[in-house]
Amino acid sequence: MDLWQLLLTLAVAGSSDAFSGSEDSSGNLKFTKCRSPELETFSCHWTDGANHSLQSPGSVQMFYIRRDIQEWKECPDYVSAGENSCYFNSSYTSVWTPYCIKLTSNGGIVDHKCFSVEDIVQPDPPVGLNWTLLNISLTEIHADILVKWEPPPNTDVKMGWIILEYELHYKELNETQWKMMDPLLVTSVPMYSLRLDKEYEVRVRTRQRNTEKYGKFSEVLLITFPQMNPSACEEDFQFPWFLIIIFGILGLTVTLFLLIFSKQQRIKMLILPPVPVPKIKGIDPDLLKEGKLEEVNTILAIHDNYKHEFYNDDSWVEFIELDIDDPDEKTEGSDTDRLLSNDHEKSLSIFGAKDDDSGRTSCYEPDILETDFHVSDMCDGTSEVAQPQRLKGEADILCLDQKNQNNSSSNDAAPASQQPSVILVEENKPRPLPIGGTESTHQAVHTQLSNPSSLANIDFYAQVSDITPAGNVVLSPGQKNKTGNPQCDTHPEVVTPSQANFIVDSAYFCEVDAKKYIALAPDVEAESHIEPSFNQEDIYITTESLTTTAGRSGTAEHVPSSEIPVPDYTSIHIVQSPQGLVLNATALPLPDKEFLSSCGYVSTDQLNKIMP
Amino acid sequence: MDSKGSAQKGSRLLLLLVVSNLLLCQGVVSTPVCPNGPGNCQVSLRDLFDRAVMVSHYIHNLSSEMFNEFVSTVFLAYFQKKPFRSFIECPNNPNELNLLDRFQDKRYAQGKGFITMALNSCHTSSLPTPEDKEQAQQTHHEVLMSLILGLLRSWNDPLYHLVTEVRGMKGVPDAILSRAIEIEEENKRLLEGMEMIFGQVIPGAKETEPYPVWSGLPSLQTKDEDARHSAFYNLLHCLRRDSSKIDTYLKLLNCRIIYNNNC
Repeated sequence: MDLWQLLLTLAVAGSSDAFSGSEDSSGNLKFTKCRSPELETFSCHWTDGANHSLQSPGSVQMFYIRRDIQEWKECPDYVSAGENSCYFNSSYTSVWTPYCIKLTSNGGIVDHKCFSVEDIVQPDPPVGLNWTLLNISLTEIHADILVKWEPPPNTDVKMGWIILEYELHYKELNETQWKMMDPLLVTSVPMYSLRLDKEYEVRVRTRQRNTEKYGKFSEVLLITFPQMNPSACEEDFQFPWFLIIIFGILGLTVTLFLLIFSKQQRIKMLILPPVPVPKIKGIDPDLLKEGKLEEVNTILAIHDNYKHEFYNDDSWVEFIELDIDDPDEKTEGSDTDRLLSNDHEKSLSIFGAKDDDSGRTSCYEPDILETDFHVSDMCDGTSEVAQPQRLKGEADILCLDQKNQNNSSSNDAAPASQQPSVILVEENKPRPLPIGGTESTHQAVHTQLSNPSSLANIDFYAQVSDITPAGNVVLSPGQKNKTGNPQCDTHPEVVTPSQANFIVDSAYFCEVDAKKYIALAPDVEAESHIEPSFNQEDIYITTESLTTTAGRSGTAEHVPSSEIPVPDYTSIHIVQSPQGLVLNATALPLPDKEFLSSCGYVSTDQLNKIMP
Repeated sequence: MDSKGSAQKGSRLLLLLVVSNLLLCQGVVSTPVCPNGPGNCQVSLRDLFDRAVMVSHYIHNLSSEMFNEFVSTVFLAYFQKKPFRSFIECPNNPNELNLLDRFQDKRYAQGKGFITMALNSCHTSSLPTPEDKEQAQQTHHEVLMSLILGLLRSWNDPLYHLVTEVRGMKGVPDAILSRAIEIEEENKRLLEGMEMIFGQVIPGAKETEPYPVWSGLPSLQTKDEDARHSAFYNLLHCLRRDSSKIDTYLKLLNCRIIYNNNC
């Protein structure tokens, strides 16, 4: 089986189109293709590249071998298929039999290939391509024709030895791309709707059914129609785009005009909806020009209903003008927050702004407000150092009488020491501020505004009842007038529940107590939620708009269970240290003897000692 | 009067039914009805042949596609991983030594002539089938038909096992398995049709011709992967070749019997 071993090597090494001796060293001698046009004969072709002139003729040989003939044989016919070819006639051709061929040059194998004949069928082109007219359209513009051809003459289709499949290509004369029709098994095909005034080209090619390779194309057939009727070709019906466009535009224009000028508002609204004009509620500038402040004010008041109402109620309440030190704080949070926010910064700032004559009104609220409101614009809020002049003359401080009644001593004492005071006690959350009424729920926010210089002898206590959106703090008259709630009567008590003892009925707390309170402030805060019984009314800010539940609850919960009447207001003397507030404790029958003498107004030095 | 009329109507309906049945049954391949007598069913034979040619064409298409797909996927994937040296015996001829270098080329597996002759011949090679047109022309249609029948019968078993083995083979694309199943079904159908044609063309003939038995199952199931892959390759290659033979012979018979050599 040496031969078969050789054959094996050949078979493995050769046969594919991809591999056809490309690695051959002696020039470009290799098989180009083997082809059988009719499944009866076949031929193989090769090229010899550029070395043709160098090689002596006849040195190239081709051999073949078949399984049934187990030896290499030389090509039977080098001529019939042309140069560099080998032709196998029907006697040498055996279908369904594996063949292997090899090309040798000077004895050395140059190329080899293996195949079966039924795999290399590639028919010749069809012949006899012609056409006949089937019919012409009534308009004599289009026509149908039948194209016919004959199979390649060497294929025996009649016997059925080979079944051919045809593919027709056609195109107009001046086109470049061929169009193809689906494969056919018959040798004729109709073509419909060809234009009589145009010329066409047609070509056909064929292949054996079930194979992939088509043969070459037949010759191109030119189809031209004789001019049947010259007049028939004059007019060419084209879709009247132009007319359609014109009429369309006209119609649209007419419709549009009808719509615009029609009285059918509905349709008009549908098709041409009105563009909404921006409507801004504002002040008619004409009013301003005319100086009609009344109207303008009413307009403004509409937006600020509450203030208006308030004014109606308490016309004798003055606004307190506060200075604004920190313009940035204007934009912070809500009014309540501003009021009740951390006092530290504000206290500092308040301390800083001791020249209170500034009276800046940096608010955005224009000076349109009526002057009898004494609006000093308080810009967003933070109530700060008051203008002492105004306060003096104008502030109707709540419970001032009562305070004076209750805390006459304190009042006396207060002026005694000149302490920079003040602060607006603000509480939004339980804070280390003296709050807590026992029974009374009205714990007013202590607004102690005092100008250190001018108010040295006076302590102002005013209950802030409202803070306007504009930022003005509205002080209210004593709640006793309104609700009869003895806010002034009650004494706010800054007491931790654990230290209910030392606070009795004094309006002020000793600094000791305050200190304790401050120290316990966190605890208080923690415990602030314990006493929900105190209630709903605003402790600090009476007006609803400014109450915060936290403040409310916080303040309410500060009330110790001991229910010791405490004063409404407690003046607070802020220690410079930002860590707490020290309340004035005056005339308090404090058990704490230590500070008995020192209760009252504590000097700064003392405070400094006490407070860290 | 009514009863008579209804009876007449009933009989007419019955007649109509019978006639329509007869007419409709004309086109059924499985049970041909010969209105002209048992030996002269030209109409049904034409239909039978048309159908048979269609089926054989279909089988040839399927087997070609299956072979191509097998070679380009499973076979190539397998042999790309291993050198050919182990698969090929060393040639004795020193002139062929330079071919050994080409064994490493992965393109070997491509192309339909791969290992064409190196492998075993097909199990149907023993059948004396005509190998060219002259031989086929000289073969009597009875012989030709029995050859076709023998081929079809001999492929029943290998196709069945091919389906089973391909199913159990890993990494085989679904297209190969589906085609194998389809070919097996169509082969049975074609066999039935051919038996019918045979019964009509050669009435009364007994077809007890022995057909070649396939014995390649062990090689399909072997553990030796090289041998197994080459066995599959061989089987699919033979299937493609034999389906081409069947297709050609049928067309030949069709043109000869139905169209009198004037297709």
